[in-house]
Amino acid sequence: MMMDLEDENEYDQQMDEEDDDEEITQEDAWAVISAYFEDKGLVRQQLDSFDEFIQNTMQEIVDESADIEIRPESQHNPGHQSDFAETIYKISFGQIYLSKPMMTESDGETATLFPKAARLRNLTYSAPLYVDVSKRVIKKGHDGEEVTETQDFTKVFIGKVPIMLRSSYCTLFQNSEKDLTELGECPYDQGGYFIINGSEKVLIAQEKMSTNHVYVFKKRQPNKYAYVGEVRSMAESQNRPPSTMFVRMLSRASAKGGSSGQYIRATLPYIRTEIPIIIVFRALGFVADKDILEHICYDFADTQMMELLRPSLEEAFVIQNQQSRRGRLKAFAISAVTDAVSQITDVVICRLKEEASNEGVFKIEIPTFYFMDSILFLATVTAILGRNGENGNGHQRYRFVTAGIAVALDYIGKRGATVGVTKEKRIKYAKDILQKEMLPHVGVGEYCETKKAYYFGYIIHRLLLCALGRRAEDDRDHYGNKRLDLAGPLLGGLFRMLFRKLTRDVRGYVQKCVDNGKDVNLQFAIKAKTITSGLKYSLATGNWGQANAAGTRAGVSQVLNRLTYASTLSHLRRLNSPIGREGKLAKPRQLHNSQWGMMCPAETPEGQACGLVKNLALMVYITVGSAAYPILEFLEEWGTENFEEISPAVIPQATKIFVNGCWMGIHRDPDMLVRTLRKLRRRVDVNTEVGVVRDIRLKELRIYTDYGRCSRPLFIVDKQRLLIKKKDIHSLQQRESPEDGGWHDLVAKGFIEYIDTEEEETTMISMTINDLVQARLNPEEAYSDTYTHCEIHPSLILGVCASIIPFPDHNQSPRNTYQSAMGKQAMGIYVTNYQFRMDTLAYVLYYPQKPLVTTRAMEHLHFRQLPAGINAIVAISCYSGYNQEDSVIMNQSSIDRGFFRSLFFRSYRDEEKKMGTLVKEDFGRPDRANTMGMRHGSYDKLDDDGLAPPGTRVSGEDVIIGKTTPLSQEEAQGQAARYSKRDHSISLRHSETGIVDQVLLTTNADGLRFVKVRVRSVRIPQIGDKFSSRHGQKGTVGMTYTQEDMPWTVEGITPDIIVNPHAIPSRMTIGQLIECIMGKVAAHMGKEGDATPFTDVTVDNISKALHKCGYQMRGFETMYNGHTGRRLSAMIFLGPTYYQRLKHMVDDKIHSRGRGPVQILTRQPAEGRSRDGGLRFGEMERDCMIAHGAAHFLKERLFDQSDAYRVHVCERCGLIAIANLKKNSFECRGCKNKTDIVQVYIPYACKLLFQELMAMAIAPRMLTKEVKAIKKKGA
Amino acid sequence: MGKRKAKTKPAPKKRMDKLDTVFSCPFCNHGSSVECRIDMKNLIGEASCSICQESFSTSITALSEPIDIYSEWIDECERVNAAEDDGA
Repeated sequence: MMMDLEDENEYDQQMDEEDDDEEITQEDAWAVISAYFEDKGLVRQQLDSFDEFIQNTMQEIVDESADIEIRPESQHNPGHQSDFAETIYKISFGQIYLSKPMMTESDGETATLFPKAARLRNLTYSAPLYVDVSKRVIKKGHDGEEVTETQDFTKVFIGKVPIMLRSSYCTLFQNSEKDLTELGECPYDQGGYFIINGSEKVLIAQEKMSTNHVYVFKKRQPNKYAYVGEVRSMAESQNRPPSTMFVRMLSRASAKGGSSGQYIRATLPYIRTEIPIIIVFRALGFVADKDILEHICYDFADTQMMELLRPSLEEAFVIQNQQSRRGRLKAFAISAVTDAVSQITDVVICRLKEEASNEGVFKIEIPTFYFMDSILFLATVTAILGRNGENGNGHQRYRFVTAGIAVALDYIGKRGATVGVTKEKRIKYAKDILQKEMLPHVGVGEYCETKKAYYFGYIIHRLLLCALGRRAEDDRDHYGNKRLDLAGPLLGGLFRMLFRKLTRDVRGYVQKCVDNGKDVNLQFAIKAKTITSGLKYSLATGNWGQANAAGTRAGVSQVLNRLTYASTLSHLRRLNSPIGREGKLAKPRQLHNSQWGMMCPAETPEGQACGLVKNLALMVYITVGSAAYPILEFLEEWGTENFEEISPAVIPQATKIFVNGCWMGIHRDPDMLVRTLRKLRRRVDVNTEVGVVRDIRLKELRIYTDYGRCSRPLFIVDKQRLLIKKKDIHSLQQRESPEDGGWHDLVAKGFIEYIDTEEEETTMISMTINDLVQARLNPEEAYSDTYTHCEIHPSLILGVCASIIPFPDHNQSPRNTYQSAMGKQAMGIYVTNYQFRMDTLAYVLYYPQKPLVTTRAMEHLHFRQLPAGINAIVAISCYSGYNQEDSVIMNQSSIDRGFFRSLFFRSYRDEEKKMGTLVKEDFGRPDRANTMGMRHGSYDKLDDDGLAPPGTRVSGEDVIIGKTTPLSQEEAQGQAARYSKRDHSISLRHSETGIVDQVLLTTNADGLRFVKVRVRSVRIPQIGDKFSSRHGQKGTVGMTYTQEDMPWTVEGITPDIIVNPHAIPSRMTIGQLIECIMGKVAAHMGKEGDATPFTDVTVDNISKALHKCGYQMRGFETMYNGHTGRRLSAMIFLGPTYYQRLKHMVDDKIHSRGRGPVQILTRQPAEGRSRDGGLRFGEMERDCMIAHGAAHFLKERLFDQSDAYRVHVCERCGLIAIANLKKNSFECRGCKNKTDIVQVYIPYACKLLFQELMAMAIAPRMLTKEVKAIKKKGA
Repeated sequence: MGKRKAKTKPAPKKRMDKLDTVFSCPFCNHGSSVECRIDMKNLIGEASCSICQESFSTSITALSEPIDIYSEWIDECERVNAAEDDGA
C-alpha cells in the first residue's frame, strides 16, 4: 500500500547523498520484477517453447530423416533390355521454409490470415511449410560406371503448421498496442494458444519423470528385492519410448541357500529373465573379476561394498569357462582358489568385526591388503591357468577372455526372444541388444562397451551406496526429477511422427512408380494433407498421437477458457501430471518442498485432480533446451578426463562429470571447474538456462542442458551483498525505451541468474533482502552467513489466480485454494475486444471496478485494466437472518442502480452444408406450405434471409436461424406431395431470452455460407445468484432489501451486502477482515491499499491509519436497524470489500417439469434441464420409499410417471400377442389363439427387455394364472 | 443407474514373458514335448522328448536353466549335422 510512500521518499533522498555502492531495498526489487514482466509477459513458457519448435526442432526433424532410397524390384521384362544394370532413386529433404499464416479461399485466392478472421470464420490459424527436396537418379552401368542425375525442387509444400498467437511467426508478433487494436485484437491478450477451426486451443504442459537418471529405491519388505535401481534411458532426438533398465538386489530372505545370497541382477530389454550383473559385464568384454570390480566399486579399500558384491561374483563364477573339459578343469581349479579366497576374506571380515567391536571403528588398511591381494592372486592364477593350458603362447589368455565373453553373451542370448537357434546367432543377438537396446543414451554405436560398463557399474555403485545406508533412497516426487513437455516438445513429437509417415508414403508412391516404369512426380508423391490434418486433428481433439492408435493421451489440447481474464491467463500456465486419477497414492498429489517458487501452492482443483493439475508460479522459466555440445567442448578444454585416459583407480579421488545424465568423464579440480562454469553462465557465454549441480558428497558434477526443467531467476549474492546495486535499479527505471537495458541486461550483467530445481538444492537463498542486511550487521543471530542467492520477492511463489487474493498469508490455506478456483468463475471483462468476438458463451460485468485493496503482482496481471468485481460495502451481521448458511443479503436499491449488473452473450452458429455435389442446404425463412418437420417455435423473427436481425427480442423456442434441406428422392417417398424441403432451423434455447446482438454472415474454409448469431441478455442480481469475496467465501443472495430496510451508520452509509458472521470463525479467512479495514482506509485516503503477502504491513499499522481517518480502529461502526430505526446493540464490522459475481445464476438453473419429452428408446423422461427433462427418482430415493412401505407412491414414481405401457399377452404361451385395437382383434399366432388374451401393464423398458430376450431365443413368459391351471389346460 | 463407462479401458501393460521350460523337439518337431530335468547335486541336466523319447544330457552349472540344456542340445545337433555334412 502506498502508505509507505513517505518511506520511499526518504530512501530517494538517501540515495542522492550516498555513493554508487548503495544496496537496494525490497521496494527496488519491484522495478526488477516490472522489467521481467515487461520483457517476458505472462505466457513466455508457451511462446519460447513454440519458437524453439519452429526455429530449430522442425528443421532437425527433417534433417534426421535418412534419405529415401528406392531400388526397383527386379522385374523380368522379356525383349526389353535396359541400358543400365541398376537405377537407384534417392530423395532427400533439405532446408525448410515457413511462411506467415495464410488462408486460401475457395476461389483460389491466397491472403495473409489474421487471428480475428480465423476466430470469426472458424478457420485454422496456420502457416504453410515448404521444404527443398532433391531427387537423384543414380544409374549404374553394366561395367560399373555411374551416371547421376540430380533434380532439385525448391520449396515444395508439405503441409500447414498451426501457429501459436504472438509467437515469432504470428502476424501479431511485436505489433504495437495501437496496431493490435486496429486488427481487432485485445492488446492485453497474451497469445500462447492456437486457433483451430475457429476455437482457441491451449496445450497443457505435461509433467513426466526425467530420463537418463539413476534412481535407487528401497523396497518395502517383505519383498523379493531389497533395493532397486532404475534408469529410464532415452537417447537424444530419438522418438522411441525410453528403454528402462532395472538393477535389483535380492533381499536376504528371498535368497535361497547361497552364502549371504544378496545377488544383484539386472534386466535387459527383450531379455526374459534377470541377468546377474557380472555376466552383463563379461558380455560387455570385462571378464576378470578385478576389471569388473573396479568399474563398480572404484575403491578396493571399501570392504563393505566389496563384500556386498561377493555373492554376485561367486554366482557368476561359472560363466567364463564352461567351454570344454579343459575349461571345466580350470573352473575347478579356480573355484578351489576362490574358496580359499573367500575363506581368507571370511577371516578378514571376522577380524574386522572384532576390531570394530573393540574400537568402534573399522580399520581398513590391513584387511584391504589381504583382500586386494587375494583378488590379485585370483587374477594371476586365472592368467597362469590360461597360459599353461596347451602350449603356453601369449594368445592363450586372449582366447580365454574371448571365450568368457562368448559364454556370457550366449547366456544372455539364450534368454532372449530367439529360442532354438544356433550359438552364433544367439551371440549376435545378445551383442545387438547390448549395443542398441541397453542404455541407449550412453551410445548405440560400436565400441561403446567401455562407456556402458562404466555407466552400468555406476548404477550398481549407487545401488550399493543405498544398500549400505550411505545415501538415502531417491525421491520420485522431487521436482528436480520432473520435466515438463510444453507446446514445443509436444508438437515436435507429433511432427516427427507425421513427417515419418509422409516420407513413408513418398517412398511407397515412388516405389510404385518405379516398379511400374512410370515417371516419378514428387508433387504427387508428397501428400501435404498428412501433416496438415494430422496436426489439426490432435490440436482440435486433444488426442495426442494418431487417430485411433494406441498410446494416445487425451486432453492435451483444451479449449481456452475465456470466462474472465485471470482464468485465461491461468489456463495458459496450467500443467497436468498424467497419473491415473483413481490412484490412491497421495504422494504425487502433495506439495513438495522442491516446488517452492515453481508451482503455485494454492491453485489446484479440488477432488479427483487435486495436486495432479498444477499451475506455474509467476516467475518460472521452463527451459527450452540447448545444445550440449558447447558444454562438452568446455569440459574438454578445462581438463575433464574421459574414460580412455584414466584408470578406474583414480575415480574415487576425482569428481564424476555428468552431462544430461550421461557420464562424460572425471575431473580433479571440480571447484575450479564449477566456478568457471558459473562465471561463464553469468556472463551469458554459456547459455543461462544450463543447470550446474555440484554434489560434493557424492563427488559428482551434474550439468543439464535439456528441455523442460523448471527454473526461476534469483538475485546473486556475494559476501552477503547483492551484486545488483541501487544505481542499476536507477538506470533500469530511467531507461528511455523498454527495449534497451531491461531484464536481459540484468541477467547479462550477472546480477540475476536462473536456478533450476536441482541446482536449487546446492544454494543458500535468503528470503528477503533484509535477511542479508541482518547477516551482515548481526552475523551471530543470522540464519546463515553463506548465502549464495536471494529471492526477488517471496510473493512470486504464487500463481496467477492466487496473486489476486489480498493478504493470502492471513488466510487458512484451503481458502486460498477455493478462491483460486472461484476467481476463474468471476465475471469481469475477459478481453477488450469482446464486442468483435463471437464466443459461444460470454459474461461481461456492467461496471467493473479495480480493487481498492491490491497486490503488487496484479499490476502485471492487468487486473486493474480488466477487473472482475466491485468494491462492495460489506457488513458482517445477521440482520434478519436471511443470510444463514452462506447466503447474503443484498441491497435492492444498489442493484437498481446497477450493482453487479452483467451481460450474458450466447452465440449460435450454422452453415449451409453441402450434401453431394448438387444438393445444398439453404438459409431462408421456411414455409409451412412446403417444409416438413417444422419446429413449434415462432418463425416470425426471421428476415427474408432466414436470420433474425440485430435488435430483435427473442425468447423461448423462437427460431433465429432458418435453414432448409431439399428433400431427397428416397425421403420424399411416402411423404405428402406438397413437401419439397425439410426444416433444419436453429431455435433459441427454450429457457433463455434476449436480444439479437450481432449477426455475422461469411464463408468458411470450404467456401460454404456460414453464420454466427449472438444473443445478448442483461442479468440483474436476484435471489439465488452467486457471489463471493476474494477469500473463498462464496454465497448466494438469500434476500434483497431496499435501502430503507438496510441498516445505516451515522454517516448514512448502508451496506451493499450483508454477510453472516458465522461464515468467519471456522473458516479463518482473516485476510477478508484485513482487506475490509484496509479498504476503508484506502477509500478515505483516495489511494490503493497494498495487500501483497510477505510484506511488513501489519493490522496495527492499518488500524492506526483508520483511526487517523476518524473511525473506530478495527472497522466497527454503530448502526441502526432499517426496519425499526433502533440502534443495533452490537457494533457492526463494515467496510468496502472486493466482491465477485460468479457465473452461476438461478435463471440458468431453475427447472421444473410436469410432463414433457421422453427418450425415444425407453420412453422414460428425458434427462437434463436443456431437454426439459424430469428429475430422477434414484436408487436412494427408492430405498427410502421402500423403507416407508409407500408401495403405491413408489409404483406411481417408477411406473405411472415414467414409462407405463400396455401389452397383450397370450394366456396359453405367456408371450406377447398381436393386438389390433382398431379392429378389436387379438391373436397369438403360435398358439392359434384368438380368445385367451389378456392385457398386462408393464414398463416400456420391461417390454424392451422381453423383446431383446426373445431376439436371443429366450422366451420370457408372462403367466397370468396359476401355473397349475395352465398345466391342467395343457394336459 | 450409474452411467456406463464411455470407453474401454486401455489394455493392461504386457508383462514380460517368462522363460520357456518346454521346447520343440529337434527330432520329432513336436511343439512342446521337450522337458528338462536338472540335477543340481550331480550337476547334470537332461532334456528329453516325451513324444519320441529322444534325450540329451550334459553337465550343468548352478546358474543353468532348462533353456541352457536345450540350447546345448541344439548346438550339439548342429555340430553333428555339420560333421555329417563334411563327411558326406
